[in-house]
Amino acid sequence: MNQVIEFHDVCKRFGRQIVLDHVSFNVPAGNVFALLGENGAGKTTSIKSMLGLCTPESGTIRVLGLDPHRDGTEIRHRVGFVPEQPQMYSWMKVEEIGWFAAGFYAEGFFDQFIRRVEAFHVPRGQKIENLSKGMRSKVALALALSHDPELLILDEPTSGLDPLVRREFLESMVDRAATGKTVLLASHQINEVERVADYVAILREGKLAVVDRLEDLKERLAQLLITVRESFVPLPDLNGQVIHSFRRGRQWQALVADLTPPQLEALRTHEYVEAIESRRPSLEEIFIGYLGPSAAALPTEPHPSEEMQP
Amino acid sequence: MQLTIDPDNGLAIYDQIVRQVKYAVAAGVLREGELAPSVRELAKRLTVNPNTVARAYLQLQADEVLESIRGSGLIVRKAAPGRCRRERADLIQARLRTVLQEAKQSGLGVDDIRTLVDRELNRLEK
Repeated sequence: MNQVIEFHDVCKRFGRQIVLDHVSFNVPAGNVFALLGENGAGKTTSIKSMLGLCTPESGTIRVLGLDPHRDGTEIRHRVGFVPEQPQMYSWMKVEEIGWFAAGFYAEGFFDQFIRRVEAFHVPRGQKIENLSKGMRSKVALALALSHDPELLILDEPTSGLDPLVRREFLESMVDRAATGKTVLLASHQINEVERVADYVAILREGKLAVVDRLEDLKERLAQLLITVRESFVPLPDLNGQVIHSFRRGRQWQALVADLTPPQLEALRTHEYVEAIESRRPSLEEIFIGYLGPSAAALPTEPHPSEEMQP
Repeated sequence: MQLTIDPDNGLAIYDQIVRQVKYAVAAGVLREGELAPSVRELAKRLTVNPNTVARAYLQLQADEVLESIRGSGLIVRKAAPGRCRRERADLIQARLRTVLQEAKQSGLGVDDIRTLVDRELNRLEK
């Protein structure tokens, strides 16, 4: 399949801090690809690297087959990009900013832009500085879409927006994908990503924890709730398939990969296991599983002194 | 046809779409020969990934609920309503089975479970 974005072994550091640590992934054409991770996990740095706004120390990046370091201008011209906090000339009117941007693109941009802002119910004669945050975001989205880019990149597009504006953003993303275009988004909104993403990549402290088709990930992983007979019983050994586990009293919760039916049956009939439940994990459980503290790092029982903290 | 998608309910989103289209056909909300919404339209309405909707529609074609009419989209097949009504019972029964299994594993007795089921049914009747 045709890859719209390719990351191969990309490393980047700011001073001593490693921001991207040997990151490799591909974004196939015509898909919605979501980058997930906590603040500072490397999502925005990845996006900036794609656009040639920041240069990695090593590794290769290709966007639409181009090298962002060398062809950054062309990439920025061909993709649509909505940053987390769009910067626009605040003294311009909505239609003026569309007219201004149209100068950089082929004919038809301005008409498209006006059609989009009107569909978003943004008053075209209003100054940017007088628009609400939601309206401003919609102007930024309209600017990013009006040259019909083959790739749309959104950095935390819906954070801080009200549900109706978020819905409009989601609809636009879905509509892009329906016309065969590619969308890459960085997001915190797990439940939105769960609806719209074909692929998810989870970044943790600059390392890629997992990248896969969301549907395959859900098929491959199981969320187990295991009740053991005594609280000192450890989680039965599962050949390193456990991604994340913790215990509360006599119950273990575990996110497990590639659990076979015989393995599940063996667990069910294990002499120390009283009951076991297995189900498809939600994306939130997968996210917590890959990002949450490991069993070793977590105190087995809440620490009394911690509970005293306000 | 109104569908509601809950990504958290334990069923894959494409599966939820397949089921709800079948229920809509079974209930006569979507009739024989009527056009189903396009992939693009339904994806937008549900704000779910269009590839997911396309996958659901492929499944619905394989299950002989929808068929493609060249140039205009997908329509409900002849005899699909009857098939969907029969399948609706099977699908719901399977869902009930998992709930009842959970009830049994939780240690409730058969009579207790029956009381709970009756109580919920009464609540729905009101």
